[in-house]
This record gives sequence, structure tokens and C-alpha cells, in this order.
Amino acid sequence: MEINYKEGCALCDATWGEYWEEVEGKNRFFCCDICATAFKNLVTKVKAENAWPTIDSLEITGNNNSGRKCTATYDGKEYRFYIKFYNDGRIFDFHSI
Amino acid sequence: MRCPVCLAMMEEDSFHALGEHLVQEEQRSDGKHIMWLNRYIGIKKAGLDQVREKLEKLYSLDAGLKEWIIRRLVERIYGEPLHPFIVRMQHPDNKTIYGYVMEHHHFLGQWIRSCSAIISKTRVEEVQLFEIDNIVSEYRGIPPDTPSHHELLLRMGESIGVPRSTVYDTAPLPATIDSLNWWDRISKECDWVETMAAMHTLELTANPDIKKMGAKSTYFDSAVLNDPSYSAEVKQFLGEGYKADSGHSMVALDLVEKYCDPGKRRNVQSTVLKSVELLDNYLMARVERGESYGN
Ligand SMILES: [Zn+2]
Ligand SMILES: [Zn+2]
Repeated sequence: MEINYKEGCALCDATWGEYWEEVEGKNRFFCCDICATAFKNLVTKVKAENAWPTIDSLEITGNNNSGRKCTATYDGKEYRFYIKFYNDGRIFDFHSI
Repeated sequence: MRCPVCLAMMEEDSFHALGEHLVQEEQRSDGKHIMWLNRYIGIKKAGLDQVREKLEKLYSLDAGLKEWIIRRLVERIYGEPLHPFIVRMQHPDNKTIYGYVMEHHHFLGQWIRSCSAIISKTRVEEVQLFEIDNIVSEYRGIPPDTPSHHELLLRMGESIGVPRSTVYDTAPLPATIDSLNWWDRISKECDWVETMAAMHTLELTANPDIKKMGAKSTYFDSAVLNDPSYSAEVKQFLGEGYKADSGHSMVALDLVEKYCDPGKRRNVQSTVLKSVELLDNYLMARVERGESYGN
């Protein structure tokens, strides 16, 4: 799975902190464990919503204050969605856009 | 000065000391401190000098302590986008009212513990009298003619079919417990001026004049108070709270400004920053509880 944030945290793009966790077969950089939890919840939700075995690419914009608008692709298909988390990384709001 | 995340007291009252602490916590990847850095310093990792500069800016007072406090509350809860609980409160449905009643009962229990901690720690009579009045109006009332805010809350719950025994017997959600524990800790470990600032900042949320202070909306659409689809109990709770909190929060913040020792002013600011974060999480717990209405 390719993601748009190359330098910073896979979820929020922050370059503070250092927390690594494997998601979709790749060890990824996060700023903290809360972002890692949120990111894993996002991936699981997108796969379940679309019945996809994996995700090819994921583009995330926004922050948790505004909520995040994202685009995920798999096998030529595209899925756009909005997601906002509780401050502990659980999903608060999720819907396709 | 105090850390606005963990409330630890730095060895010296300087932004340099706080910056060092934040960077240390960042280096051990503490989620709460990193979230704070992301929000208040920016998402790009910065050196100690830059962190110190941004802290100085964040804590600088151009219009006084009270105005600074109001700004922090407004930006966190009433900025763009509005806090999800405030969105739901504009025309609250039964879910929202349910979440409000279930969690706020527990909040008010902590509220009076915090206010009494202020009374026990100060010798300033006007502060003690203010908090006594506050406890009476929030929790005791003057029965039978003047019910307390807490009593009105329970009646509001009953009006949507939630018995008060259920409210008492249901534990608060984890996010509420966490916020209440922090407010309890503030009341035990911090000065009374800090505790006053932490608690009465929260009352700004329901201040009817909040829009004049820069908020994008009021606590709820005042049309609710004349809307026949709401019960008298809901209207009475919202209407009374509106009246009470407009006076309370402003008088309290004036007292904070009046009695805040300049040498401890930054501690008060850190405690306020912590308190608005706790409020954000607590209001999310009200929303979350609302989702289980009718289950
Ligand atoms: Zn992150
Ligand atoms: Zn700290």
C-alpha cells in the first residue's frame, strides 16, 4: 500500500516522535501510538466497506480537527471517504463522499 | 511553570524549561505530548529555539488573562469546524439529550468537589461566597421552589424516558472518567486560582454571549426554547443553564484575573490549556453516549 505522506507520520504527516508499526505488510512510521491505532482502524474499515483484500494506495488530507478526506484505490477501483477519530484513535465518523 | 499536557511542574518558570520537557517527552514518543505539539507548535518537528518562540507567542497576553482564556475555549470548541457536540446541540435530538444527561450527572459530582476544593484552599471571602452560591445553584438548589441545575438535568432525562435511577447507576464512559480524574487532580494538586480557572473556563461553553466572543455559533439555537416539540423540562434545563452560566463564568474569570499572582500566571494558563482539552474529550463522550440511546 502506497501512502501520500512520505516523510512524516503515515496518518497525520507530523515529524515529531517515532513509533513504528507494520500495517499492510510494511513497517511504517508514526508520530505516536494513537496515530498508529487510528491508521490501522482506517485501513480495516476501508477494506471491510469495500470487501477489498488490501489497498493499493491511500491519500489522506486534513487533520483530526477538521476530519480527513481520503482516497483509497484497489485494483483500478477508487473509494473516497471522510473519517474523523476520537482522540484515542477509535473511529468517530466515517462515510463515503 | 506547569506542563500543559501532564501538569508536571518545571524546575524553573521559563519557556526554555517547558520546551525541553516537551522535546524530552517527544523523544520518548509520548502520544499526549506529541498531540499537543502537533496542535500548538505545528506538525513539523522543530528545534528547541523554535519551540520556545512558539510557546512564548501562545502564552503572551495582549488583552489580559481573561481574554486569553476566552480565546482558548472559543478556538477549541467553537472554531471552524464546530465541536461535534455543539453541532448536535443546535437542535438536540433525544440521543443528544440522553448523552448529555448520562455523562453530565457525573460531571456535576466532580464540579462540586472541585468548587469545594477552591473554598477549602482560599481565605478570600468573595471567592468562597461565589463558590458556595455556585454549589447551591448547581447541585443543591433551594427546595422546593428553586431546583438545582442537577435536579433540572435529571428531570430533563425523565422527560425523554430515562429514570434517575438509571442515570445514577450507569458508570460514565472512559473519556468522561479520564477527564473527571484530571479535574479532580487539578483541584487537589493545583492552587485555587488555577482550579478556578480550569473549572470556570468550562462554563463559558454555555455562555449565551459566546458569539460576541468570537464563537461561530451559540451553545444551542435559542429557538429551541419556544419550540413545542421539546418538553418543558428540556427547555427549563437549557434556559436556566443559559442564565446561570452567563453570570458565573464571567464573574469567576474576573476573580481569577484579580487574584492571579503574576509569578504563577503561566501555571494558570497551562491548567486552562489542559482543561479545554479535557472538555473537548468530555463533550465527545456525551456524543458517544448519545449513540447508545434506546439500546
Ligand atoms: Zn501522527
Ligand atoms: Zn508534560
